[in-house]
Amino acid sequence: MSLLLPFLSLALLALAPYASTEHTSNWAVLVSTSRFWFNYRHLANVLSLYRTVKRLGIPDSQIILMLPDDMACNPRNAFPGTVYNNADRALDLYGDNIEVDYRGYEVTVENFLRLMTDRVSEDMPRSKRLLTDDRSNILVYMTGHGGNEFLKFQDAEEISAFDLADAFEQMWEKKRYHEILFMIDTCQANTMYSKFYSPNILATGSSEIDQSSYSHHADADVGVAVIDRYTYYNLEFLESQVREPTSKLTLGDLFDSYDEEKIHSHPGVRYDLFPGGEEGARGRLVMDFFGNVQNVEVDGEGGKRNETEWLEELEAIDRLINEARRRHNESVSAPLFPQVQEEKMVVNERQSVRREGAVRVDEESGWGKKIVGAAALLGCMGVWAAGSWLEAL
Amino acid sequence: MSSVRDANASSNTKPAANDSHSPPPIIKAAIAKKQPPPETSESVWTRRWVIFSFWAVAIFLGLPVWWKATAIYRAELPLQTMTDWADGKICKPVFPLRIAVEAPALPLQDAQHLVRTTQHALDDLNEFSAHHLRLMLAAAPFANASQETVGTTNDNTIEPFRVPRDKDIALSIRMLPVESGSTPRSELQQYSPALDVYYTPNQIPPPSSTSSPLATFIANELHKVFAEEQATLAHLLSTTSTAHVSKIKSLSPEFSAELERQSTRAFKYAPTYHLTFSLFSPTSVPSDWEIESALQQYLTPLLESFSSISNFTVDTQVQLYATFSPSMRQPEFDAELNAWTLRKEDLSGFINAAEWPLSPSIGIGPTINFVLYVPDPSQSPLLVKENGGNSWLVPQWGGVRILNPTVSGGAPSTPAKLDKEALASAMHTFSDQLFSLLGVPQTPASLPLRLTTLTRVRAASLVFSASSTLSALARLYKALPSIPIPDTVAKSVDLTTAHLQLACNDLREGRFQGALENARVAEAEAEKAFFERSMVGQVYFPDEHKVAVYLPLLGPVAVPLVMAALKELKSFLVWIKRRE
Repeated sequence: MSLLLPFLSLALLALAPYASTEHTSNWAVLVSTSRFWFNYRHLANVLSLYRTVKRLGIPDSQIILMLPDDMACNPRNAFPGTVYNNADRALDLYGDNIEVDYRGYEVTVENFLRLMTDRVSEDMPRSKRLLTDDRSNILVYMTGHGGNEFLKFQDAEEISAFDLADAFEQMWEKKRYHEILFMIDTCQANTMYSKFYSPNILATGSSEIDQSSYSHHADADVGVAVIDRYTYYNLEFLESQVREPTSKLTLGDLFDSYDEEKIHSHPGVRYDLFPGGEEGARGRLVMDFFGNVQNVEVDGEGGKRNETEWLEELEAIDRLINEARRRHNESVSAPLFPQVQEEKMVVNERQSVRREGAVRVDEESGWGKKIVGAAALLGCMGVWAAGSWLEAL
Repeated sequence: MSSVRDANASSNTKPAANDSHSPPPIIKAAIAKKQPPPETSESVWTRRWVIFSFWAVAIFLGLPVWWKATAIYRAELPLQTMTDWADGKICKPVFPLRIAVEAPALPLQDAQHLVRTTQHALDDLNEFSAHHLRLMLAAAPFANASQETVGTTNDNTIEPFRVPRDKDIALSIRMLPVESGSTPRSELQQYSPALDVYYTPNQIPPPSSTSSPLATFIANELHKVFAEEQATLAHLLSTTSTAHVSKIKSLSPEFSAELERQSTRAFKYAPTYHLTFSLFSPTSVPSDWEIESALQQYLTPLLESFSSISNFTVDTQVQLYATFSPSMRQPEFDAELNAWTLRKEDLSGFINAAEWPLSPSIGIGPTINFVLYVPDPSQSPLLVKENGGNSWLVPQWGGVRILNPTVSGGAPSTPAKLDKEALASAMHTFSDQLFSLLGVPQTPASLPLRLTTLTRVRAASLVFSASSTLSALARLYKALPSIPIPDTVAKSVDLTTAHLQLACNDLREGRFQGALENARVAEAEAEKAFFERSMVGQVYFPDEHKVAVYLPLLGPVAVPLVMAALKELKSFLVWIKRRE
């Protein structure tokens, strides 16, 4: 046993990295936060990323796309129904197969936090929820106008770096992610991830504190800038180098491709929260976050039961079930799963009672409010009448 | 009382006194402006009362109202209990399995002795204390002898069972005397939880002996039957809670790697799973499949046998002209295999997620996808390059099977309609994959045993996950003091702990089905508590925001109040000085 122990611990050590790299699903949360035509480029940023992750295999059901405005149908758009991220207009980002999950005024700080922490109402469709678990890698990409430790949403409100950090912490506590890659393209972007404190997050941003993040170029016919620099060079790497899902390029390669001369700001990367630190993070594959690659298990030829055995088994199960059913019908007094049925009944009862109660309370409070309102109105009239009477005296 | 007057007022009295001696008016004007008449003590007091009453309203009414209106309601939560659950201080899950020994051919005395010695041998073998097998002597159906229970002493009473195969009996051992063949030998029934042990009468241990080959044999067989279950539970305990790590003694690294792989592959427990069977074809055929009758024949029995653990909903779809994703490497022709091949590393990109309509986002449960792909006859047969297989499993997603068209008359052709027989092999693959995806253990061979094993594993994992949700909620409660906690959360937490306790008791008493039910309720309530809708908000409010909100509101009100109070205070101090 004492000889075995060091061997065991060695084997466990060897296993640990294998276990930690394993994820079974990839999700992407792509958020643009600005409204209005002159922010065309932010929506183009997000749509470009959307197209890339979709090309690399993340299904629409696992992409949450938040677009606060509709540039394709904006009356100022000279090319209706399309969004371009380049002046050559070779690629229509809008295309014919796009699924926007949160649109227009739905894109708020509250909805974003609710999405991340899954504190949504029961009637929220599954496509608008982030149904991740402790085996999910999440790519969070945000773009918009920001400042020191905040990012504006729709020119109306802002999310602070603290809110974002707390949201990630809640996700971590509930085991809602395996690893997160956080990317943000906004002014002073690196301040947004400075407050994170939850593990397994790798964060990168376009610019340091007191630095602006610039747009790449404008399209004279569209009339506005069409893409931001940081996003542009990220895409350049992803589109020209990561050609197929089997790509073995790492995030280190992606970060090394950032050229401050071209981006005009200092992109930052935060490694300290990630397991393995800088080395571990840089060694991670780009496809671990931008694609949807799992370890598939090819069924071997041997080791499986053959078909006749399987058919026999099915028949036997069938017989068993019929037998159980017959017994169940015979002994009506002893139901097969008394506990289950009881539980169901209890649940039903509780639900129905609650529903009735809620309706009754609503009606009551509605009437109560009406009475209070009427009384207040009458009181005001009385005071007015009394005042005029006193004046008349 | 006039002495209380402030300095100004008292200095004013001098010119007023001079006034009565009537200096020339012009000189008077030059000396001093006309001063207001001295304040009467009543007016001074009125002023003080007014100031005082304003302050009183601000402090006794305004302050409480502000306090009340801006306070965040946080229901009391039993934080310590919640943490204790996650730390395993309240409930240490144990899995006492009852095993009935049926020995109709043996005299009661001998049977009892055999059970006792076997129990000893079993206890010696067992390394994982939380999972122990407890042998009991069952009365044979036809004998009306008194019920006897033998085994480790325990405080809970075991109700006498009438039906030998009680629900709470994990396995029955049938002792069958034979004259021929090698003995002892055993045979596990495939479709019922029963182990037949064949022995010759002379192998029955004499009452004086403390061990016997037969007892050791039975103990070893039992240990073998439950080996995987023990390992799975031990693994579960070691990964989910730190308190149990010390208990695991011998899990070989290969085996724990395999268990890790299994847990990666299997879906998380859900009360309802949604199964989607899809037929994809790059051409216009086959446009129809007898999926309904195939499901009825090949899958329904399996799903029904699962019904005590989870429910299932099933839907199917046919998609024609389904092309590969453009970024996927196209199949290559392998002359050696005489087939088109896909490389293993390309398989995870095989599903064209952007265009194939999978994962319908309906219902509440997770979706398990099964994809049947019929390749183009020009690219047929299509195989996996590495092992020549035609099916693979995507962890926590589903399974894929390639159905190559049959070769008829030299060229492969795809029938317009896939009949039930053509689907049989695919359904076989899918049912194997379904079992893997649901986390059904590989051994032992008996299906009912594997299902009850799954019940125990699922119950334990639900208890762990509900406990960890509770402790996560407790940590958040402490870490984020600005989050509101409504009463419903406290109620859900209470329900969770109550059901966890019930589940724990059920586990201890060996009622595993009941434990699963209770653990399921506990899990649902814990999720409800954690994901309470109102527990979100602008969590972080920086100090400068607070100043910005309060200053415009309170500044104009506070300035006169504070200045008046200061002035009165000053005059009070002067008065005190004068009195001295």
